[in-house]
Order: sequence, then structure tokens, then C-alpha cells
Amino acid sequence: MGIDFVDIAQAIIDGLLFGSTYALIGLGFTLIFGAMHKLNLAYAASAIAGAYVGLAMITLTGLPSVLAFFLGPIASGVIGFAVYVTCFRYIPTTNMLAPLMASIGALFFIDEIVIHATAGSPLSFPAVMEDIYLEFGDFGFRGDLIFVLAISLIAMAVLMYILFRTRLGLATRAVSQQPIAAELCGIAGHRTNAITFVVTGALGGLAGCMAAAAVGVISPLLTVPITVKGLIVTVIGGLGSIPGAIIAGFAVGGFENLFLLLFGVNQRDIYVFLLLFVFLVFRPGGVFDTAIERD
Amino acid sequence: MFNLKPIMKPAVMAAALSALISPAFAEETVLIAGWGAKSGPLRSFGVNSEAVLKAAVKEVNDSGGIMLSDGRNATLEYIYFDSACNAEQAISVARKVASETSALIGIGPTCSGAAAAMFGVFQKTVGDDSDTGLQFPILTDTAVRNGLAKISQWTFRNTPNEPDMYDKLFAWVAKTYPDLKTIYGGTETDQGHSNGTYSKVIVQASKRHGFDWATGAIEGVTGDLGSGSTEVLDSSSNWLMADTNFSVQARAFKKSNADIYIISSHPFTTCGMLKELKRRRAEPKLMIGLTSSSSAEVMKGCPDAAEGMIIPTSFAPITPAAEKVAMLANENGGDADLHSAAAWENVMIIKRVIESVGIGNTPETLVADRRMIRDGLETLEMTDGLIGEVQRVQDEGEALKPYVFVQATEGKWAVIHDPRAMQ
Repeated sequence: MGIDFVDIAQAIIDGLLFGSTYALIGLGFTLIFGAMHKLNLAYAASAIAGAYVGLAMITLTGLPSVLAFFLGPIASGVIGFAVYVTCFRYIPTTNMLAPLMASIGALFFIDEIVIHATAGSPLSFPAVMEDIYLEFGDFGFRGDLIFVLAISLIAMAVLMYILFRTRLGLATRAVSQQPIAAELCGIAGHRTNAITFVVTGALGGLAGCMAAAAVGVISPLLTVPITVKGLIVTVIGGLGSIPGAIIAGFAVGGFENLFLLLFGVNQRDIYVFLLLFVFLVFRPGGVFDTAIERD
Repeated sequence: MFNLKPIMKPAVMAAALSALISPAFAEETVLIAGWGAKSGPLRSFGVNSEAVLKAAVKEVNDSGGIMLSDGRNATLEYIYFDSACNAEQAISVARKVASETSALIGIGPTCSGAAAAMFGVFQKTVGDDSDTGLQFPILTDTAVRNGLAKISQWTFRNTPNEPDMYDKLFAWVAKTYPDLKTIYGGTETDQGHSNGTYSKVIVQASKRHGFDWATGAIEGVTGDLGSGSTEVLDSSSNWLMADTNFSVQARAFKKSNADIYIISSHPFTTCGMLKELKRRRAEPKLMIGLTSSSSAEVMKGCPDAAEGMIIPTSFAPITPAAEKVAMLANENGGDADLHSAAAWENVMIIKRVIESVGIGNTPETLVADRRMIRDGLETLEMTDGLIGEVQRVQDEGEALKPYVFVQATEGKWAVIHDPRAMQ
């Protein structure tokens, strides 16, 4: 079957729409790295677990399905706090490896809890605007993916507002850039980090819900690919760079779909990782090379 | 007067304990082992298999247990291990069960990839002293990829014969839907079962019965099993088991304008793909799925999107025995499907074989007992299945199980055809 311009354009557009979930996950990784200079590899697992909790709540209580998109982020925020306490809070900041390994352990622990609670069965996840499909000639746009994009953009805007227009954001940035100076100014570092985990956890929960809604099904199988994509986005965007994570999320989504169309599924990930290596070699600081330095 | 009270209690306990661990007590119990995916994303397969296995063991014991060679009846017991869907773990469990337990036979594992690797560590040819592979009989219930049991003469399977199932399915589709002429499809390329069955069995079966590939003939596909399998994959629109975005594939399906879509994958991506097709208004006249998707998981994940999909399956509650197993599986926290239901049949086969070969069931006879059970399995020509008699293909260690065609209808798998009615 031949590939024409419409196929290429459609693949890129679909990828960009789906890439908004990658951007949200990448944002979470990058915010935590920005705040603590540590990677929380349990982040995507928390996101998916939160989405599961949201789904469970609406299923068990009969609440409207749209509430899953609110309950999921709340649950992920709580899980994010638990991950902070268990994997980061009491480990000395000078020890870089221990929290990383602890978060890997938390990833598998959270994932296995979900698997045991659901027997690993895929479950139908509600989507908003699922029945809407906009067609313009040969092009088609899924209504639910447009909703995902819209919610993601709103979430990003809210996050940017919190970070750059509120005292909490100021404290977060202060702890990120000058933790000792921030402490001397009366900013509680641990409290700020804990709040960062909660906020990013909620963001992840939203991303988890969006990803599950975009697929239409939620499964523990989502955890690892979303973790990997989130890390790729974080690196390409530049560790700690918020605009970079957003741009990279959309870019990875678009390129991933384009590579799939052009080279097939067996080679798709080769090119995605090649993209990662290209950035690591030629632009290790990411799209927007961040100038943030820590004492 | 001696006060015996202080020493009586420990003495009685010691006597009871020694009775528990004595060979005489051990002889009253026949042990079998099961293993499957109890962790990881395919946990439901292990949960279902163990639920059915547990019910079958209870059934055997409720009906008097297993008769040993000396006429005594022994209680059947089982142990169950988690081999995930992992080759190394399956091999490790097989070695552990064979060397550290008194289990006479094993049932498992879940995944075909794990089974293929695990079967490789068994002695290839019985009696070959130069081969130090495991000498322990296996009767697999779940791993279904075509032709695995012939890897070792110690490994047997009671799994569906997919080449036969899809051959009959396409023969029936050709007859029932004469207006349908073209097909298009895709598979999870990283899953041995989905990929192998799709590229070596399903597409060839469709060709055999006169269906054409919607986007032009695939080079090398003649209708023979496995013909042109590489080209089949190149011509299809495929995905991976953990994929989350199916937009490109769904567009290719829709663009093909095929009458029949073939979706050869496990429940998670089957649902992902079906939902994407539905959202994109792709409307084939018929959809055909992989045997493994004829399970409760698809009905939980995407009942609406799956509506109308047809799958051949070796289990459906169409007989009183099958209904009973389906009910017992639910009571034990699982679901009976084409994979897990085989665990019931396997336990009944094991009981029959043990009673027919007459094992000693002592530590001294363990090796000989395992060999006798293996030999007993090899002599079977026919076994009782839940929906009918199962024919054994003993030079390959495989089974020819009866099957039916089911269709997703209003959130349930409804039986729409029994091929035995055509014979």
C-alpha cells in the first residue's frame, strides 16, 4: 500500500495529538529533576496507578465517568507523596544512586499492586468526546484526542502559572536553583520538594488518565512504555527544562508516528532511540539548553 | 507415681509430626505442579489456570482421589509457581520442580516464548543417556504457538491446533459469507504466538479458501503453512504488545477497504486496535481475531468495539461439563477460557494415566514414576475434553481438540457454529 502526503500529514497530526500525554509525563520527570536533580522512575507507574484508582472510584460508586479525570490526578498526587517519603525524603541528597534505585523498586512495586488488584486484565477506560470524529476531506481528527490535547494544554498553562506566578512556584524554583540559600531565606526545602511531588504526581495522574482515554483501555502494560517515552522526552527536552519537555513531548509523538508509517513497527523504536542519541551527542542539554546550575 | 503429663503433650505432637513426614503418609499424596504467569501484565492467564486447576484437583479428591498400583487411593495435591511470562523464570521453575519436589508431572507455562525456551532444557529423546536434560513430564495447558511439544519427548500439550481451527474457520466464512472476498490485517510482532499464528497460519488459511489480500497479492503466500510469512508481515500493518497509539495502523486498515479485518493479538492491544478502528469509522464486513482473545478480558476491555468479531476457540460453555468448569473457575476467582479450561482436562488426563500405569509413588520410585507417566501420556490416543473428545497426535505430543466459532455479541462470546456439525 503506497504512502501519500495525506498519510504522512495525518500520521504527524495524530502523533502530535497523542504526544501531549508524553509532554505531561515529560513535564513531571523534568520538574522533579529540576527540583531535586534526581530522577523519579516510579513517576509513570504512579500516573497509571492513579488512573486506575480514578476508574475504580467511578466504577464502584457509579459517579459520572468524567470524574475519573479528577479523581485519578488526586490519587496520583497522594501516591507521588508516598514515593517522595519512601524513596527520596530520608536518603541523603549526596547519594545519587540510592533514590534512583529506590524509585525503580517503587515502579515495580506499584505496578505489581495494580496487576494483583486487576489480575492484569485490560479495563475499558472512559473517553470524553469519543463519538466525535471530524473529517475534512481525507483528513480525520479524533474528538477524544482533541480533548486530550486541550486538557494537556490547560494543565501545562496551570503548571506554568503555579511555577512562575505563585509563592509556591517561587519556592520551588528557589529550592531548585539554590537549595541552601532558599533554606536560609526560610523556605522549607523538604516541604517544597514534597509539594513538588504531589503537584507533579497529580499532573502524572492526568497524563495517565489521558493516555488510558486515548487508547480506550487501561492496562499495566502502559507503565513501561510511558516511562520510557517520558524519559526520552525529558532528555530531548533538556533535563529540568519545562518548555523543552513540552516541545519534546509533541515532537516525540509526531516523529514516533512518522517513523511507524515510514519504516514499520519493528524499526520505529530504532529511529526514536536514534533521535535520542542524536540529542545526547550533539545537544546534550536538550532543545532549550537549560542554564540552571546548582551550588 | 510418675507425672507423665509434662512429657505426654510433646510426645503426642512428635508422634503426629513423624506421622506427617513419614514415607507411609507421603505415599497417600500424589503431587503435581503447575506454573504460569501470576505476576506481570499477563497475570490473568495464571490466575485463570490456577483457579481451574484447583477446581479439578478438588473434583478428583471428591470422587475418591487417585488409585495407586497397590490399590490404595491417594489424595491429589498441587503446588503452583509463578513463572511470569518469562523464559528464564519458567526454566528456573521447571528445574526446581523436577529436582527439589516430588511432583510427578508439571502443567504450564503460560506463554509460548517461555514454553519454547523451557522445553529446550528437557531431554530431547527419551532414554538418550548423553542428554542430561530434564526428565520430567510436562502437559502444557496454555502456551499455544504451533508445534512446540515436539521440542522434547518429555513435553506434551493439550492446546488447540490453530492450523486446523483457522482452516475450518475460513472454509466456513467462505461458505457463509460468499460476498466477502478480501482481507487485511495486522499482529503484535513481538509476541511469538500472535505473530506466528498470523503470519504462518491465518493468512495462508485465508488464501487456501479463496480470499485475496486487499492491497494486492502477497509474494510467496501459496496457502501452505508458513509460506511467505516474512512477506505477510511486511504487507501488514502491525503493532507491539505494549503500544498505546494505533492511529497509523487503523488508517491503513481503513484505507485497505478490505471486507475482512484480521486482528491477531492479545486482549490489551486487540482492544486498543478495535477502539481505534471504531473511532475512525472503519467498518469492515467481518472481523476475525486470535484464539487468545476469545476470553473474558476482551469483553471487559472493549465489548462494544469487539461486537461481531469471530474467533475459533476450544472452550465454550456448551456442555454440562464445560458449564460446570466455567462456574467452578468463577468460584475460585478466575475465568474458564480456551487456555485455562485445559488445566481441568489435564488433571483428568493425569489421573487416568497414573491409574493406568500404576505408579509406586515413593521417593525411591519417583524417577521411574515420572518415566511411566510420560510413557503413559504417549500411548494416549483419545482423551475426554470439556466440549468433546480430544484426539492425541502422539508423534508430536500435541492434541487435536474440538472447537467452536464464537462471536462477540452484546458483551458476551456467543457460539455461532460448531464445525463438527459439518462432518
